[in-house]
Amino acid sequence: MRYAMVIDLRKCVGCDACTVACRTEWEVPIGHSRTVVSHSGAIGEFPNVYSTNFVAQCNHCDEPTCVPPCPTGATFQEKNGIVQVDTDLCIGCGYCVEACPYDARYINPETNKVDKCDFCAERLDVGLQPACATTCIANAKYFGDLEDRNSIVYKKVFEEGAWRNENENAAIGPNVYYLGTKNQLEIVKAKFGPRKARLATPAQMWKDILRPFIFGAIGVTFVGQAIAFFNQLRNGEEPIDD
Amino acid sequence: MSISRRDFLKRSVLTGGALSVLSTTQLKGFTKHPIGWKGNQRVSEIASICEMCFWRCGILGNVDKYGKILKIDGNPEHPLTHGRLCARGNAGHKLTYDPDRLKYPLMRVGKRGEGKFKRVSWDEALDFFAEKLLKIKKEYGPEAVGYFPHGIQARFFHQVMTAFGTPNSVEPAFAQCRGPRDVGYKLTFGNNIGSPEPLDFEHTDLMVFIGSHIGENVFTGQVLQYAEALERGAKLIVVDPRFSDAAAKADYWLPIKPGTDTSLLLAWMHVLIFEGHYDKEYIDNNAIGFDQLKEHVKDFTPKWAAKITELPESLIIKTARLMGKCSPKVALHPGRHVTWYGDDSQRSRAMALVTALLGSYGRKGGIYLSSKIPAPKFPSSHHKPKVKRADGAGTKYPFASKGLGVTNGLIDATLNEDPYPIKGWVVYSQNVLESIPETYKTKEAIDKLDLMVVVDVMPVEQILYADLVLPEATFLERYDDLYTVKNAKIPFAAIRQPIIDPLFETKPGWWIAKEMAKRLDLKDLFPWDTMEEYFDHRLSGLNTTLKQMQAKGIAMHSKGTPYYDFSKPVKFKTESGKIELYSKKLLREGFSPMPEYTPIDEVPTGYFRLIYGRSPVHTFARSQNNEILNSYQSENDLWLNNKVAEDLGLLDGEYVKLENQDGVISNKIKVNATPGIRADAVYMVHGFGHNSKRMRKAHGKGVSDTQLMTRVKVDPISGGTGMRVNFVRIVKNGNPIMLSGAFSFLPNFEGEGEEELKYVEDPKRVKAKRKIKKVKKKEVKVEKKELKRKVIELKEVETEEEEDEGC
Repeated sequence: MRYAMVIDLRKCVGCDACTVACRTEWEVPIGHSRTVVSHSGAIGEFPNVYSTNFVAQCNHCDEPTCVPPCPTGATFQEKNGIVQVDTDLCIGCGYCVEACPYDARYINPETNKVDKCDFCAERLDVGLQPACATTCIANAKYFGDLEDRNSIVYKKVFEEGAWRNENENAAIGPNVYYLGTKNQLEIVKAKFGPRKARLATPAQMWKDILRPFIFGAIGVTFVGQAIAFFNQLRNGEEPIDD
Repeated sequence: MSISRRDFLKRSVLTGGALSVLSTTQLKGFTKHPIGWKGNQRVSEIASICEMCFWRCGILGNVDKYGKILKIDGNPEHPLTHGRLCARGNAGHKLTYDPDRLKYPLMRVGKRGEGKFKRVSWDEALDFFAEKLLKIKKEYGPEAVGYFPHGIQARFFHQVMTAFGTPNSVEPAFAQCRGPRDVGYKLTFGNNIGSPEPLDFEHTDLMVFIGSHIGENVFTGQVLQYAEALERGAKLIVVDPRFSDAAAKADYWLPIKPGTDTSLLLAWMHVLIFEGHYDKEYIDNNAIGFDQLKEHVKDFTPKWAAKITELPESLIIKTARLMGKCSPKVALHPGRHVTWYGDDSQRSRAMALVTALLGSYGRKGGIYLSSKIPAPKFPSSHHKPKVKRADGAGTKYPFASKGLGVTNGLIDATLNEDPYPIKGWVVYSQNVLESIPETYKTKEAIDKLDLMVVVDVMPVEQILYADLVLPEATFLERYDDLYTVKNAKIPFAAIRQPIIDPLFETKPGWWIAKEMAKRLDLKDLFPWDTMEEYFDHRLSGLNTTLKQMQAKGIAMHSKGTPYYDFSKPVKFKTESGKIELYSKKLLREGFSPMPEYTPIDEVPTGYFRLIYGRSPVHTFARSQNNEILNSYQSENDLWLNNKVAEDLGLLDGEYVKLENQDGVISNKIKVNATPGIRADAVYMVHGFGHNSKRMRKAHGKGVSDTQLMTRVKVDPISGGTGMRVNFVRIVKNGNPIMLSGAFSFLPNFEGEGEEELKYVEDPKRVKAKRKIKKVKKKEVKVEKKELKRKVIELKEVETEEEEDEGC
């Protein structure tokens, strides 16, 4: 089982039905989003122009960069590929927000916990499709199990050659695939590709300075203890006064 | 600072009290819910139809245990939308919970436009209404009341006004929207296009849009079929001065010079006829006036049109050939808002004629036919008023619909008291200051009124001018009349039913109309007490009842007849019983029987033509205050060609103002410098720039295109107001800015140029030539051999091309 989504940009009209449905389904606060529709605008010189719409959301990557930085284990990946956030464990540190090269996560100001697309896991549990795919007025979003040869996403990915939005910044196996014309995918590559995964400043400090320092200090202490021990062995134990 | 124990207790009691007061009011609708999936909080799901726009898609309202609407879903039972819903529909409940909505009946106490009101009870309001209206009736006659309705929900008010005795009912749906289109198609095929446009995208091979920007202009059912058609491989031709979302998906984008569409259509006809691509059998059997049309378009060559439209000749020819190739499975979208340049009925006629030549009307893949649906109305003892209409429908504008009327005609009549005084306006579900151009005229006309009543949901600008404001319940809180959809392959009926009870003191439209009738001595007008009784009667033709229908919200009819059966002779509902390529009816009224291109007014130096359109997240001027939709698009922007912007020294994203040809200066608007628009036009989304301070989210945001439309060119055939005849220049820091003398704009159409037409010989002329050829038999034999060889060669070339282009 590996859930995946395929978005056909040739059909997408960029109308934001999906993002509004997501917002109301999950009460995403205004100013934040689990999924975003972008419009490239016309590119080129009149009248030889082209453009695309682009839909972004959590990609539920094969090797999610958001999972390792989580200090409490709140962000984890399920066996079906869905990257989940356990809100009981989340402390809202935002390390994962910085670590996601697709900017798919945000801190909900009302709960102070991280939130993001989870392919509408609760809807899936009751046999529904994700809210965005259900409402898409152009039927441009396909959802299903990539390991099921009869699923629509299998067909779109392995037969029609849907494309993964990866580049030199991040190639971590996103499971949201795209279909588009050559021009459209060129624009996506140029404008909507992933950034480099960042570690949040505290995390960076922990990783680059604090952690080496602490490990170093522990090492030095250990070495010092060892030296003292061997010294003692060599010199013999001092008599203890009662 | 120290707080004594006593103080602390006092304060907590006070806050507690205040909180409990708040929470009881909150329970009425403004409660906050725990974050998380709405599915867990839902207790019921009620089927209804949307009214975030006029397409009325199927919805399911999710309600929680407090009786609050959590979310709107699409209704999977709906035969056109299949459970899908656009952004506006998905945000529909935010209209109901808009803190700015009208909550109580209001009576004006200040000057018109000032916005000072006192809250009154419904009884006071309705008594005042009846008293004033009866006074007008006594002094001027019932026809002195004008009525501005919109939508299916207006039917009850319509009955009241008709029974009251006024014929003056006018909707912008005609003269500011689809009037000319309906006139043009009716004159040609005998039928209106109607709503939703019956385009057979499901089976089409080619879609042709002229100004239609589907995708930005959203009807869920239509977008769905359009997207599926694209996926199926259907071709798309888009004619639009702007690179719309549809243009981006098109095989051919024709960035036409605004206002010259008729010449393009005539040239298309020229190619279709003279290259022999038209559907000869369909035309021979079903149409009259082909020879006249052929003669008419003889000189309207693609070369001629190329000069006018500023499009490459080859592009015109190529697109016409593609249409011919895909004939009859061509869906040429008749458009919807078509009141553009004042020649709109003739342009619509030209579109209808192209459709006819392609044999697409009433055929699979083209335009399908509407079917009948039995939905009996309650019999009324009241007759239609016999007084002459004041708006000119049927007289001054001979082909205007008497059912929908001419809004601008009625405003003129009110202003000039010609043909008789109009002293009262009843405005229902319509926005006279945002939908009708020349707003200064409308305001002057309002000044002449003794009574203006507005029934509305939101405090849009027009309520500021009203003497009486009656707050209607939103579409999620009321029943409306039965919605029957004839333009579906299988016709169906859908109901709107309340998902929650009306909030505040708002009332459903039917209740308001019924109460009005009571007070106007028209008690017998509504011979039913409950909506159940009403619906059961209306649904009797479909063999169902309201109860049975409530769960799904939809009742399908047994069968539709979407296509003509050409095995028998088909009778069209025109005078001649045939498709009228040549219209005697038009000729009789003094108009050209076949469409002609009328040159438009050129854009004055320093100005740009103002064109406008739709956004997928907003409906007209209705939705800008919606919390969610406002967060997606709170203001419109100004599409300006990037080279023009560069020459003007404007940056993308910079704010400017606009000044129109009559000196009207707009709010500020953000420049969207883009190569996706011609250099002679600017574009904005309609519906922004609200003047009403009571709409706190929308007030002052963006620019109202309507307010910049101080001129119109009225279509003499339909009475429609051509609105794309206004020009604006850009004002920066208080001064208008002009293009430099060095600026030139010569678009380079890659791979396009001149193209030779391959004229097909007229059969009659061929016969005449044969006679001559008989004399020169010997030479002919040699020629024939060569010809055969050439034909074979040509055929080979053609088949190769076919494979390339597909259909």
